[in-house]
Amino acid sequence: MSGLSGLWQVALRELKVRSTSKAYLITTGILLLLVTAMVVVPQIVGDDTEQFQLGVVGEGNSDVIATARALATANDVPDATPSVEIEVTEYENRESAVSALEANDVEVVLADGEELILERGGGFFGGSSLVQLLQRAASTVALEEIVAEEGRAAEDVVALMTTDRLTTTTLTEDDPDDESRGIIAYAGLLLLYGAILLYGTWILTGITEEKTNRVVEVLLSTIRPWQILGGKIIGIGTLGIAQFAGTIVAALIAIEITGVFELPTLDAGAAATLVVWFVLGFLLFAVMFGAAGSLVSRSEDAQTVAFPMSMVAVVGFFLSIVALGDPEGVAAVVGTFLPVTAPFVVPVRSALAAIPLWQYGAAIALTAGSIVGLVFVGGRIYAGALLRYGARVSVRDAWRGASE
Amino acid sequence: MLEIHDLHKRFGDVVALQGCTFQVSRGRMLGFLGPNGAGKTTAMRSIFGLVRPDSGSVTWDGEPITPDERLRFGYMPEQRGLYPKMQVRDQLVYFGRLHGLTTSTVTAAADEWLQRLGLAERATDTLESLSHGNQQRVQLAAAMVHEPELLVLDEPFSGLDPIAVETMSDVLRDQAAEGRAVVFSSHQLDLVEDLCEDVAIISQGSVIVRGKVSELKTSAPIRHLELEIDGNPSGLLADLEGIQSVESRNGLHTVIIDARTDIRGFIARAEEVGALRHFAYTTPSLSDLFREAVQ
Repeated sequence: MSGLSGLWQVALRELKVRSTSKAYLITTGILLLLVTAMVVVPQIVGDDTEQFQLGVVGEGNSDVIATARALATANDVPDATPSVEIEVTEYENRESAVSALEANDVEVVLADGEELILERGGGFFGGSSLVQLLQRAASTVALEEIVAEEGRAAEDVVALMTTDRLTTTTLTEDDPDDESRGIIAYAGLLLLYGAILLYGTWILTGITEEKTNRVVEVLLSTIRPWQILGGKIIGIGTLGIAQFAGTIVAALIAIEITGVFELPTLDAGAAATLVVWFVLGFLLFAVMFGAAGSLVSRSEDAQTVAFPMSMVAVVGFFLSIVALGDPEGVAAVVGTFLPVTAPFVVPVRSALAAIPLWQYGAAIALTAGSIVGLVFVGGRIYAGALLRYGARVSVRDAWRGASE
Repeated sequence: MLEIHDLHKRFGDVVALQGCTFQVSRGRMLGFLGPNGAGKTTAMRSIFGLVRPDSGSVTWDGEPITPDERLRFGYMPEQRGLYPKMQVRDQLVYFGRLHGLTTSTVTAAADEWLQRLGLAERATDTLESLSHGNQQRVQLAAAMVHEPELLVLDEPFSGLDPIAVETMSDVLRDQAAEGRAVVFSSHQLDLVEDLCEDVAIISQGSVIVRGKVSELKTSAPIRHLELEIDGNPSGLLADLEGIQSVESRNGLHTVIIDARTDIRGFIARAEEVGALRHFAYTTPSLSDLFREAVQ
């Protein structure tokens, strides 16, 4: 049997057994439900309307209230439920309005369109947003009155106050796609980070399975360690990615249907970059998690060996945040050439068009090379550690053990 | 033919093998005997490349063993283990596929084995739902489902009840009769004596006795003598030359005696002491040879 066919058999078994396991089906179901619910539920039950209780007393309040309503809902989608509602209660006189305020029936009392009565001032954290809204409304009403009285001159004043006086000239033409590329790269980054943390542990505990079951000796008498390691990583990794992709697709469909927000468009080049680096990054970490998994024989010990790898992923993630801010800085360039951080940093620099082609190529070569190298190093650690049961095996002992 | 020649292996300060040599031919069954820690498992693992010997050689038909050739070997390690949540037939098919068989061939073979081991109705049950004894049977089937040329079993009889021992013995006998080379380790000597034509005894890493069981027994320098008699036999035994050991239990006296000692006339002398109820003079049992060898 050729090397790859042994590897394929191992991967196939993982796919077959795990995809039909209760644990996999249940977690997949829960994830799909959860993600769909996160998008859909706020749309159904989510009453985003902010309610204000306003008391009024005296004359001349109606203009201010009407303007406040108009200002508050200016950015709302037409025909949708308004984002702000102001419920107005009229009072006979100041005393009854004040007692309503004290009884917390209303938040604020507007008197004669000129005065706001509050229970207490805003203090350090600023006043209620209703107060600010009413203040803005009153100013607008006053301005409108001036305009109505003074004619054109006042109109000009209003125009000046509401527009940018200086025009701007940019040397390079703005690419409207820049922003969306940045968002997509950042989203891709988050996804890679999430996938590594979620499914890395899967691979790690999956690798310990053969040691826990003690089936490993039969396997090793038939096929070689790298075939087991590679096959398991491909099998479990594929299931993890399938679950992950399914979840993302469900989320995208839910977003499209509900129209919560507009999805940025993705061109082919950017998509390819994302996919290539996602696969490279995931594989690299998967092999690391796999080799670590061979060091332990009980899943209880798995967390201890997973920690260093999770830390590396965190470092990569933060480097890429730095790269987002300064895509041509030292940290970004260093991150490009370190295989463990490149999958995080390169997509960001690439999206911001801030990476020379040779660096991009070198990063791919380095990362892909590291994966191949790690499969063999991992295979050796796996081989050396596999027949040692019980206590956790140190990397050094495992490396030496492979020659025994 | 499997030939293991002068294997040496150290793990740090521990010497596991120092001069381990034996052969197994096709169609023969070798019992590989030795006390715990003598190096049986290490020697068997070296056949599958699980242990790299410091020196010595392991060959199959005169050639060093390649990974591809190992696919035609079957191994049942001392550390039993299969996938608990996998169905029994799927499990056998998986191991058969790993050995390079096509799915249809291996499925047929798996069903045949399950039939033979009385597990046909459990084919689609998960392994963990089977009793311990039945799990052992599946393990045995997993080692043989690909019809190996060489079958290596590490302590196949340990933990088996008498019926399972019978099944295992039958299966192994058949395997040898079908032309496979079979080697298994054990410390249940009576069983090996019944089952094997060939035997190798290992002690402290070296094989100290090996050969055909019948030849070893007849050529042994000792004989096994059993005596049950009314009265005290000590005077009677004192007259015999070349006694190596005497063991008395419940009135049965077991004597290991030099093979050259002439015991003609012994029965007549014994009758003078008291009524003779049991007398046996035989070639030594494997237990005798084993004890003699490891002493």
